[in-house]
Amino acid sequence: MDNSNILDARKDFIKQKQGGCGGNGLRCDSNSVSGSVSQRACVYCGARVVLNPITDAFHIVHGPIGCASYTWDIRGSLSSGDDLYRNSFSTDLQETDVIFGGEKKLTAALDEIVNTYHPKLIFVYATCIVGVIGDDIEAVCREMSNKHGIRVLPVKSPGFSGNKSVGYKMACNAIMALLAPHKPEKRRGINILGDFNLAGEIWIVKEYLNKIGIPVISTITGDSNYESLIQAPAAELNIVQCAGSSTYLANRMEEELGIPYIKISFYGIEDTVNSLIRIADALKDETARKKAIELAETETLRLEVFLSKYRKNLEGKRAAIYVGGGFKAISLIRQFCSLGIETVVVGTQTGKKEDYEIIEGIVGPDTIILDDANPAELEKFMKEKGADILVGGVKERPLAYKLGIAFCDHNHERKHPLCGFDGVVNFTKEINLSMNHPVWKLTESDLFDIDKEFAK
Amino acid sequence: MRGNLVNLNVNPCKMCMPMGVMTAMYGIKKCVSILHGSQGCSTYIRRHMATHYNEPVDIASSSLTEEGTVYGGEKNLLQGLLNLIRVYHPEVIGVATTCLAETIGEDIGRMIERFYEEHPEHKDITIIKIPSAGYKGTQYEGFMTALYHIVKTVPMNPEKHSKVNIITGQLSPADTRYLKELLAEFGIEYILLPDLSENLDGGHLHTYSKLPQEGTDIRMIEKMAGARMTIEITISIDEKNSAAKYLYDTYDVPYIRCNLPVGLRDNDEFLRILAKVSGNAVPLKTLKERERYIDAMIDSHKYNGEARVAIYGEPDFVVSTARMCVENGIMPMITATGSKYPKLRELLEQEIMTVSEAFFIDDYKIIEDVDFQTIEEYARDLKVNLLIGNSDGRRISETLEIPLVRRGFPIHDRMGGQRLRMFGYEGALTLIDEITNEILGRKERTFRENLYQQYYIREESSTQISEEAAAAVHNWEGDDSMENELVKRQTIEEKTAKHPCYNCQAHQYARIHLPIAPKCNISCNYCLRKYDCPNESRPGVTTAILSPKEAFLKFMEVKTKVPNLSVVGIAGPGDALANFTETKALLTLIRKEDKDITFCLSTNGLMLPQYANELIALGVSHVTVTMNAIDPKIGAQIYKYVDYMGTKYYGETAAAILLSNQLAGIRMLTEQGIICKVNIVMLKGINDHHIPEVVAKVKELGGVITNIMQMIPVKGSVFEELPLVTNKEIMQMRVKCGEIMKQMYHCKQCRADAIGTLDSDRSSEFQTGNQKEAPLVDKEYLDGMDSENPSPRLPEEAEASQQVTTPKLYMAVATKSGIIVDQHFGQVSEFYVYEYTKGNAVFKEKRPVNQYCKGSAECGEGTDKMDLLIQTIADCDAVIAMRIGDGPKVKLGQKGIKTFTTYDKIEASVLWAANEIKKLP
Repeated sequence: MDNSNILDARKDFIKQKQGGCGGNGLRCDSNSVSGSVSQRACVYCGARVVLNPITDAFHIVHGPIGCASYTWDIRGSLSSGDDLYRNSFSTDLQETDVIFGGEKKLTAALDEIVNTYHPKLIFVYATCIVGVIGDDIEAVCREMSNKHGIRVLPVKSPGFSGNKSVGYKMACNAIMALLAPHKPEKRRGINILGDFNLAGEIWIVKEYLNKIGIPVISTITGDSNYESLIQAPAAELNIVQCAGSSTYLANRMEEELGIPYIKISFYGIEDTVNSLIRIADALKDETARKKAIELAETETLRLEVFLSKYRKNLEGKRAAIYVGGGFKAISLIRQFCSLGIETVVVGTQTGKKEDYEIIEGIVGPDTIILDDANPAELEKFMKEKGADILVGGVKERPLAYKLGIAFCDHNHERKHPLCGFDGVVNFTKEINLSMNHPVWKLTESDLFDIDKEFAK
Repeated sequence: MRGNLVNLNVNPCKMCMPMGVMTAMYGIKKCVSILHGSQGCSTYIRRHMATHYNEPVDIASSSLTEEGTVYGGEKNLLQGLLNLIRVYHPEVIGVATTCLAETIGEDIGRMIERFYEEHPEHKDITIIKIPSAGYKGTQYEGFMTALYHIVKTVPMNPEKHSKVNIITGQLSPADTRYLKELLAEFGIEYILLPDLSENLDGGHLHTYSKLPQEGTDIRMIEKMAGARMTIEITISIDEKNSAAKYLYDTYDVPYIRCNLPVGLRDNDEFLRILAKVSGNAVPLKTLKERERYIDAMIDSHKYNGEARVAIYGEPDFVVSTARMCVENGIMPMITATGSKYPKLRELLEQEIMTVSEAFFIDDYKIIEDVDFQTIEEYARDLKVNLLIGNSDGRRISETLEIPLVRRGFPIHDRMGGQRLRMFGYEGALTLIDEITNEILGRKERTFRENLYQQYYIREESSTQISEEAAAAVHNWEGDDSMENELVKRQTIEEKTAKHPCYNCQAHQYARIHLPIAPKCNISCNYCLRKYDCPNESRPGVTTAILSPKEAFLKFMEVKTKVPNLSVVGIAGPGDALANFTETKALLTLIRKEDKDITFCLSTNGLMLPQYANELIALGVSHVTVTMNAIDPKIGAQIYKYVDYMGTKYYGETAAAILLSNQLAGIRMLTEQGIICKVNIVMLKGINDHHIPEVVAKVKELGGVITNIMQMIPVKGSVFEELPLVTNKEIMQMRVKCGEIMKQMYHCKQCRADAIGTLDSDRSSEFQTGNQKEAPLVDKEYLDGMDSENPSPRLPEEAEASQQVTTPKLYMAVATKSGIIVDQHFGQVSEFYVYEYTKGNAVFKEKRPVNQYCKGSAECGEGTDKMDLLIQTIADCDAVIAMRIGDGPKVKLGQKGIKTFTTYDKIEASVLWAANEIKKLP
């Protein structure tokens, strides 16, 4: 490796898989290196991701305008009911508020909201500034809850107080606080945790569950609302889709509400099938198990026909992956592998040690593995390894395009579902469309040799 | 200024200072920037810029954490600077602060000094600090502050030269390129600050450079102090942020300030300035463009005069766009900026009055420090019909169904935001064309329907319902679920607009006829419902009769495959009301699944008085009654008998009973706002002269349309031999009756099981044989509703022999993700326990490890983690983990527990391990 462009402080976070089975060695799970242009976000971002899909809540960002402005309605979580969550409310703190404190403004804002709209549920997010000027948002929220008899919940998410994962945790704490007073009678059914109904994905999962006869009590938090959330303690099982954001919540619900959980995944055929069967097993429901197998057989057959057609176009391509969490990366490596695509660069923003160990186990030799990568590293390794496609977030997309590499949007802003059986179709179509697009035959051309490459 | 809420900004119409700073720094050559604050700020700003410009945007962060916040972030920043230099090799570095850095009181100047002291080898890199607390201003102030600090920080060379400084606010790369070309055409030598035209709208090169290679060169910035003069193209700038004023105060460089060259007057003014500065004439090409622009202004002035626009964004953008709109007679109903800018009113009031006084428009709003909720409220109240601004107006556009012409920043929901032009006569022309075309398009789409609605339909029925719906939309209070119900419900007008049979403009919408009504209670002489041929298409024909349940399944199937499905109709093959039980069951089922679909049914009207109110309760909005005569004598020739309340009536008695029920029934429906269509079969020599009387009666009863149809001769029916009226006669009759009331000219006389649009019947695609393919609703769910039909039994298991050969195996899986085997045995805190039986991997339970250690009595003082783990799974036959150490492997082996290592999926691993075990002796 020519490492002239790699920072010394970053070298431990990058690894090339050696022949055979590698051991430990990649550094991860630590603070970003200053000045390295990390792709990570902040605590507030993590909290907002988890809570924002609650459709009938007021999401009030207590802080200066930017935090609310940049997170306003940019994610693809869908609602079957209220649209309130698609607004961004900010106390729009000014210099005087920073000097004299913002509690008064927040109190006035809450009074006003309650009197005008009579909401059932309000979340108040603390931003960097609030963490520094010392506003006691917990006290304000408590006072407002008592005064108005509704739930006003603080979310302790100053940006500097950790990383995105801390934000997930803060959001989960707020959800637990919401559930605490509610003890609905137990009934048959499950909760879905860690699915944010991006592009209607929770609807797809619910439909599968409906087909195999398993009722869903609450979804946390995709397409949820106050009334549906407080039913959650009635469930007999939790299933966890996005482990990174919601395992902490599942653990708390298990310990405090006695609801066991299992982790599942609806990305890819195999995961979807196994997850449905596992849910049936966890509920000891033989009928559901059989129905799940029937469903899987029908759908798998349908997909086989589809995939055999597309595989011809995809075999032998090389993929680069840069996503948020370790599990998504692993899932993508496998999906690519099943299509005959080799993963040559793989990295995550917040992967854990074990994630990287598995990644190293399942990728081919010489694959580059990165933690908290920056654009310079992605550029270098994608070029060196000859990647044909990058899977990543919105910020990485223009980089891929500049380098002449196809791109797959596997992020929260997408408008097409990637889960379940239909998700496999969408994913396959998307990567084929981008990789086998005629434009790539033209990008490297020069004015005088343009016909040479294209007609192939 | 706020809408409903004084203390909250609802949907911000502004961004923060660091955003502006970062954008400005992208206009400097070989410059890269770092934000001193927590990681999120740079990530969010990069995301916004990357989606607008579709270019890679690299902005570093000093990634302040709790420690940095408490003890100061100097260490982070100094390290960050070194790292940036190492990776990017910049000539210039922008260091901008954030809310966090400003509030904890970071002394950036001191830190930069220290950096130079510690790293003299980097002395030649210019580091520019820009204080930019997010709460001190918007991105506009951030942008201008950055420019101010650039000229203030860069060491100046005041030696005089002939160049002109051009300083601008945040322009699109396309406008910047126009500006540069224009200056070149005038032969003006210039220093443009900043110049983001290439860095944020670059071409595709064979090699990519992550350090911006274009933009204003630092060596040119040094010379700004010696320039002839400065032209600062922005009018809303605060003096304290003005780079031009700084250059004047410090180096005596004279300056003028002007509006953005947008629209006629401001382009004229700008060209006069350039002509004067250069001493050259305005290029001929530009003069031609001016002529063309004026010509275009005239061409579209009447359409533009209908536009009532809301303009929002940065102050400069709002002022110049509003001035251009005024020139074009476009009424700026709302001019709004999220920035604090009290001068906005002063700048725009007189301008806007030019239009408002000419067109007698009293009410308009000029607002600063605004949020989008306020803009939305005014846009609704002031009946704005067009929005001009950035993508953040898309919610208003969606909610109020007002088109949005995109300009400004950010434009992240469309491509090409960076290439949108406003500058120059041509830029204005492009923008005006877009505006005009939105107005024209809107008109084209709506004028037929609007005029029809305004002048045609009787007022009682339509206004009543729409007022209720409107009231519900505005009512924030009260029961939520109720409110949602009402908001979502389409009004009858909306439904009619999407009903292909009632509105000839709605031919793109599809309907499905569900054949659930086989029985009929009258006998018409032209009808015989005996035959069924899918190739034949006429009323009363269907391939199969469906039960309500089957029909419901079919509807669900069709709904997914025919996306424009707007109407469910029951058109026989008999009479919908003679089969009322089925009709009711079906409509109830469908309404549960689809709150919006239009219900339509056709009937001979005999049972209408009895069921009219129930139909309305079921949500039927459109009813077609076939009424061929209003004279029992004529009716007696058409109907053989009427079967009413269990008795068969013949002759005139039958016709009279039918008629009186038809008349009473239609009136019941129309009085309650239901849309009634009356079909009349034109029968030669029988009712052909009588039809206008029927039509007049329908009008009197409140029907909305009549459909005069051809009789289709059916073999074996009484009228088999009746000569047909010609198509011409039918048309003449329709035209004649058209003087009385609205006529249907596009009837296709559909089958009772028709599916699709009127032009293309797709019913053959959805024959019952295909139904199995799309079980969209759980069969059981439906069966549960029908007590005669018990749930289908699941096939009994075939097992017996297998059971003997394969024993049950218990396996403990070490997994963190719950999907793949991804944990070391020693790190497990809970196992997923699987049972392998009959070739299946069945999940049994999740078994936490610590649960088994309830206290020292059980576990013993010295019990270490490994023993606990083994104890937890003592009943298992095997363990599957990513890795297992040799120690535990031996211990497990002693207990007869086999070990397997893999990274595969759990279920696959269990099956694999079971196979391996089977292979063992």
